[in-house]
Amino acid sequence: MSVKVEVGAGGIPHNQILIYGLVGSLVLIYLTYLNTITNTQYFSFFGGLAAVAALIWGTDTIKHLCSYGLGTGVPSAGMIALGSGVVAAIFGATTGIFAPIVTIIVAAIIGAVAGLMANHVVRMDIPVMIVSLIELAIVGAMTVLGLTAMACGTFEFLGMITGTVEFLGFTVQTYETSVIGGSIVAVIFMLGAIAIQHSFNACLGPGEKQDRTLMLAAECGFLSMITVAIISFAFIGFLPALVALLISIIGWIYTYVKYIELSKRDAYAWLDAKPILEPKGGA
Amino acid sequence: MSALGGPAQTGGVQPPTTMGLALSIVLIIVALALAFFLVQTAGLIALVGIIVGGVLIAFGVHFVPVGGAPAAMGQAPGIATGVAMLAAGAGLAGLFGGAWAAPFGFAVALAGGAVGGGLLMAITCTMVNVIYVFGMGIPAASGKVAKDPITGDTFPEYKSQGTEGHGLPFISWVGGVIGGALGGLGGTLIYLELLDIYQTQLPVILNATVEQIASVAISLAGIFAVGMFLMNAVLAAYNITGTIEGPHDPKFKRFPRAVIAAATASAVAGIFAIALLELVGVF
Repeated sequence: MSVKVEVGAGGIPHNQILIYGLVGSLVLIYLTYLNTITNTQYFSFFGGLAAVAALIWGTDTIKHLCSYGLGTGVPSAGMIALGSGVVAAIFGATTGIFAPIVTIIVAAIIGAVAGLMANHVVRMDIPVMIVSLIELAIVGAMTVLGLTAMACGTFEFLGMITGTVEFLGFTVQTYETSVIGGSIVAVIFMLGAIAIQHSFNACLGPGEKQDRTLMLAAECGFLSMITVAIISFAFIGFLPALVALLISIIGWIYTYVKYIELSKRDAYAWLDAKPILEPKGGA
Repeated sequence: MSALGGPAQTGGVQPPTTMGLALSIVLIIVALALAFFLVQTAGLIALVGIIVGGVLIAFGVHFVPVGGAPAAMGQAPGIATGVAMLAAGAGLAGLFGGAWAAPFGFAVALAGGAVGGGLLMAITCTMVNVIYVFGMGIPAASGKVAKDPITGDTFPEYKSQGTEGHGLPFISWVGGVIGGALGGLGGTLIYLELLDIYQTQLPVILNATVEQIASVAISLAGIFAVGMFLMNAVLAAYNITGTIEGPHDPKFKRFPRAVIAAATASAVAGIFAIALLELVGVF
């Protein structure tokens, strides 16, 4: 495709966003561990916020990578991010308390291999390819791990594959009513993939502004969070899930309003559509 | 493409660098050794299956006629979307077919996967041509060859000026079906190998019956198959850089690069998927 991909200059430097995104998502994922410490489920929503932080960083990375003109469309970058990320996230989850850190390391390894293959075997020869694919794999992994932790209240593998069912007044442990056993992880995969690939794909072109693109990324992240919050009613208590849902909805409304504001700021002109009034006495 | 540079768009095929090739061989050997060390012969066979599956996916993607944005405007032949989207559609349809047929045995499941992927591409290619011919009013004409290698139809008299061809010639239709079948076959192969590993290991670790853990094993194998499928499909897409008409396109000759890249990426992602349950309960 000979579509010219244009990106706006200026804004926050990418390395700064990288550090904020990496540290932010790591800290936020670890905050879900408060569930285990305090023996409640009220801190699950931090997983979703970690995913939003990772998605904002990932969108900026995609912007950097795709400004070189991959020729394959922006969504392919989101697909490889989540594809390599999901392997790393579930592998990392098996390491208990170290899960988020192991996830980042494993994602970096898979991303580095994909990047080296893309540059040295497929010969894309894009200078930022290897670094970008490492970053994207970490973003994908943190998104999956964060949203999964939000859905089931923990980032540990055994928590992801076990659930409970009320049966004749008894609480029975089953593997089917869990995030992985119920294949909820596949939904989370797609929610993350759509969130990461949409923002830059929608905002690219002349006049692209970093703050507007990243605001859309946050909006997409919160939209995915709403869905995961609804899913989490099945796995965590009613009140913790309600807290998560309220936080996601508030976050989504805030980012959506902000995004519309930024879009109007950057637009040449806009039309506030109003309903057509019927003239009195008929036309 | 943009001012920043971009992938080399030269006509000749650049061979992989020596470093890339050496790295691929080393990584594949290390992964195979690790698989044998961790899960013995079963692990080795599973990883070989995953590598073959990844290679089939990357090879299959090269058959699919991808038109991208120019095809949507009737200015290039092929299906009007990106490689990653088409491959994901065909591969996931194949994976569903294969997963459904998994209880009927290995060979039937593989055939189910191939038929699923091929069928989806056959329907897509047919409907694309229906829309091109009856909706947009454009005949099928390839821009890369003068004559259809199968039917012998000639193209130059139907090709509009200023385009690279348009519509979906019969050879591209055949390529699409072959590509979908190969993709579905590869995805199903990865799924079956991983399912085998998890169905052997999970009952021991969780002290449960095979029926109890079936949903977890199927879900894990499925999501990893999807993840690895997308990784390989995107690497193949990077190899194609944009549009391809099918097996008659000169770009088709680039496939060895994607095969090497996909084998290495699958080996590295596959070793993490195979070793997934080794660390459960350690931390």
